Amino acid sequence: MEKQCGLRNGPEPAEFRQRLKIVLILIGLFLSILLIRLWYLQVIKGDELKQRSENNAVRFRIIQPLRGLIMDRNGTVVVDNRPSFDVLYMPTKGINHELLLQRIKDIYKTKTLEISSDRPFPKTVKPYLPVRLEKNVGMEKVALVETNILDLPGVYIEVTPVRLYLDGEIVAPITGYTGEVSQRELEEPEGDYLSGDITGKYGIEKVFNPYIRGSRGNELVEVNAFGKVIKNLGRIDPVSGSNVVLTIDAQLQKAAWEAFAGLAGAAVAMDPRDGSILAMVSSPSFDPNLFNSGIARDEWEKLQKNPLKPLSNKAISGQYPPGSIYKLIVAAAALEEDIINPDTKIFCNGSFELGNRNFRCWKKHGHGSVNLHRALVESCDVYFYTVGKMLGVDKIAKYAKMFGLGDLTGIELDHERKGLVPTRDWKLKRMKEPWLLGETISISIGQGFNLATPLQLVQAYSSLANGGTRWRPLLVQRIELSNGSITKEYLPEKIGELKLSQQTMAVLNRALWGVVNEPGGTGAAARRPYADVCGKTGTSQVIGLPQNDKARRQKKIAAFHKDHALFVCYAPMKNPEIAIAVVAENAGGGGAVAAPIARKILNAYFDAKKKEKTGQVAAIIPPADQTGD
Amino acid sequence: MIFLKYDRRIFQNFDWMLFALVMSICAIGIINIYSTGFSLIDNRSPLYLKQLQWIMLGLSLMLVTFLIDYRAISQAAYIIYAISMASLIFVAMFGHTANGAQRWISFGFLLFQPSELMKVAIIIALARYFDDHKSNEPYLLRELFVPFLMVIVPSVLILKQPDLGTALVTIIISTSIVLFIGMNWKSILIAVASVLAMLPLAWPFLKDYQKDRLLTFLSPESDPLGTGYHIIQSMIAIGSGGFLGKGFLKGSQTQLKFLPEQQTDFVFSVFAEEWGFIGGLVLMLMFISLIIWGLKIAWHSKDLLGTILAFGITALIAWQVVINMGMVLGMIPVVGIPLPFLSYGGSAIVTLLGAIGLLMNVSVRRFILQH
Repeated sequence: MEKQCGLRNGPEPAEFRQRLKIVLILIGLFLSILLIRLWYLQVIKGDELKQRSENNAVRFRIIQPLRGLIMDRNGTVVVDNRPSFDVLYMPTKGINHELLLQRIKDIYKTKTLEISSDRPFPKTVKPYLPVRLEKNVGMEKVALVETNILDLPGVYIEVTPVRLYLDGEIVAPITGYTGEVSQRELEEPEGDYLSGDITGKYGIEKVFNPYIRGSRGNELVEVNAFGKVIKNLGRIDPVSGSNVVLTIDAQLQKAAWEAFAGLAGAAVAMDPRDGSILAMVSSPSFDPNLFNSGIARDEWEKLQKNPLKPLSNKAISGQYPPGSIYKLIVAAAALEEDIINPDTKIFCNGSFELGNRNFRCWKKHGHGSVNLHRALVESCDVYFYTVGKMLGVDKIAKYAKMFGLGDLTGIELDHERKGLVPTRDWKLKRMKEPWLLGETISISIGQGFNLATPLQLVQAYSSLANGGTRWRPLLVQRIELSNGSITKEYLPEKIGELKLSQQTMAVLNRALWGVVNEPGGTGAAARRPYADVCGKTGTSQVIGLPQNDKARRQKKIAAFHKDHALFVCYAPMKNPEIAIAVVAENAGGGGAVAAPIARKILNAYFDAKKKEKTGQVAAIIPPADQTGD
Repeated sequence: MIFLKYDRRIFQNFDWMLFALVMSICAIGIINIYSTGFSLIDNRSPLYLKQLQWIMLGLSLMLVTFLIDYRAISQAAYIIYAISMASLIFVAMFGHTANGAQRWISFGFLLFQPSELMKVAIIIALARYFDDHKSNEPYLLRELFVPFLMVIVPSVLILKQPDLGTALVTIIISTSIVLFIGMNWKSILIAVASVLAMLPLAWPFLKDYQKDRLLTFLSPESDPLGTGYHIIQSMIAIGSGGFLGKGFLKGSQTQLKFLPEQQTDFVFSVFAEEWGFIGGLVLMLMFISLIIWGLKIAWHSKDLLGTILAFGITALIAWQVVINMGMVLGMIPVVGIPLPFLSYGGSAIVTLLGAIGLLMNVSVRRFILQH
């Protein structure tokens, strides 16, 4: 042991004792100050503070901000806010909830009204945490509650903003809807939500929620026994959310919705010059106003169970076999890979044999000898079977991907789907089976595994229309504060390029013009007097019904067996400014059903433009070098 | 082994006064925590029972720290320090997060907060260090470089959790010890000057809410909704207690949950509301007695090690009492320091009782160490 008991080196004990005395004095000083403060608070200010704690109930009230508006490209408000009147109750000592509820019911009864919920009180009522007894009540109830407020201690009316979707179901798939935060959202660490907050649940409302939401304000007030505010202790004003300005043209959107006339499907109109989405409808749709104060269970079930899926935005989530729309891509591939030249003719006798299988052309007796131009114009299947077989699936896939298929377009909406561009590798990985040649034949005319969303189709054709640039679809132009100052602007973004020769693009352009404007073209229904539309029809066979489930198949066959009608187009041919994709589910042929819808949207677009330029009667002359066959 | 030898005098000279004081304060703490949990409508497991279990655990630790000669404990000072350091680092990497702070190590059913252990570990380590490096002259700055590192590294880790309060208390206690041992006047001036110079640099490292708290402290009424809310509600609670208090289980501020953090940081407000100035005075006198008693032990200790240990542990209690009460009385910013023995919190009460064991250890061995 090096240290012996009791022996001390280092500082002298006396020195320590000196310091300990200082410490003692300091401690005494500190604690005396605390004691004086305690005396001051409890004895001198005691009565005042007691008053404040006793007869004044301090209420902390949250003031919900106004959500930002959603506007179209012309500044027309599409989604607004409106006041909603809620009946609230502040739990106070000594009040019998059952009795209070009965009193409210009695008061309502005088005007033959009823309380909307059977059990407005939750199981546990915590003191000073307000209970929302009834949401979104009419003015009659507001008046009844206000006039009887003295008989209803603790009950009061609160005004909160709720969403007003002016165009309802027409824009609903884009704007989405709002609702109360879910338990999961409450637990998100970065969410900063409180129970009862409103948040975006779908579409723009959800994706742009951080901008639209604004920030809560709050208020600390002292209230008397009747719940009346007697002293305002402080208030932080809420900050309204930012407005979102869409690229959508509300008028065109409406026209597109009307053109659909109740058919199921989707239509997307894009400006091929920069990727702006001018209209995007999905039918059938839903009324987003229903979700404001919590959708009723039966309404929700009805929407959920509807086989036509009104809650999904088919323009981005609907994946369809592109059918003959795909022939444009196969044609581009064949030209670029030197499988054919524009003059290569193939004889179509109505069918194409591969081993012992027979692939039919849609035209029973065949198209005869056709070159690429006519094959596209008349949508000859045999021509593309032949070319597709020579190309092989992977070459076709290479071009399909160049056109943007099989990948997300990157539009700022939730639930976008990728579609599918099949390749040998994909099948081997996915199905553990080698690729079959027969499948290449189906792929060549856009059937088989191929899947694309309407947005992808319009993007693909836009890229051809603008001379080869693939733009990211723009749905939002800018975010601005409620005073109009711009906080964020979304600029066109090039995300890909068609590496096709000028000659190839010219050939394809001409062929698409022919589809609409030449005799025998399958897209004649989209023809306008100005002969300015280029397009391609598609009719895709519906697969996907379970083969083994025969009974179900039989039952549903009537409605679900019919083909999907597709049409994709752009106009005017020179310097196109609008491209449209239309998919009508189980509606029949593309030329007969989808093309007229596209024409209506085109007419609406050009009519509006003409009106805008009053005085200048824009004579759009059809391109001189284009004639019928 | 002289250190572990049984000695009758350990029990003959047992410090009953210290033990009784601490146990009385703990008892007040349990009664008080019972009151905060009284009005809970949702049936959570009653906190006062949990606190009781923690105190039992703390008493067992106290027995250990009391029985083993403190000089033996000081032999293990750096090991204890290293263990605390390791658990702080562990918590920084894999710790359990609650209320946005990562302070706890989870042992399944219980959460352990290493920063509480660290405070005591630093006291022991500093005592050992200065005992090993005795000097008849006041220490110069360069002689204090090792103790500085010993304190600053864990403090930064604690600050990162983030736990500004505990980090500050750790530094304040260590500084008190160093000043108590004796430091060259010039060195003190240089140290103070450099700390003042560093302060503006530290500001950006604080979290927003920590800045808020420091700023709103300056004028709580200007922000009655945000950070000021705690202080105002606490002052209303204390003030409304008046001279005699509202009575046990009758504090409306407490029972109606206006008062935030009432089992932990604001536990004194609960007590003051229900027991009034009289209660507050009694409690404060008990703390004052405890602190004086602790200093008396430091005074009478027969060796430097014992003096530093006793002083350090007393400083730990004293500073936390002063800071916590100053906080709930609205005199200093809300930095989240619990009130010793009264605030609910397992790690804190267990380590505190362990420290009290050490204090009794020093107290009793002055009779043994005589020759």
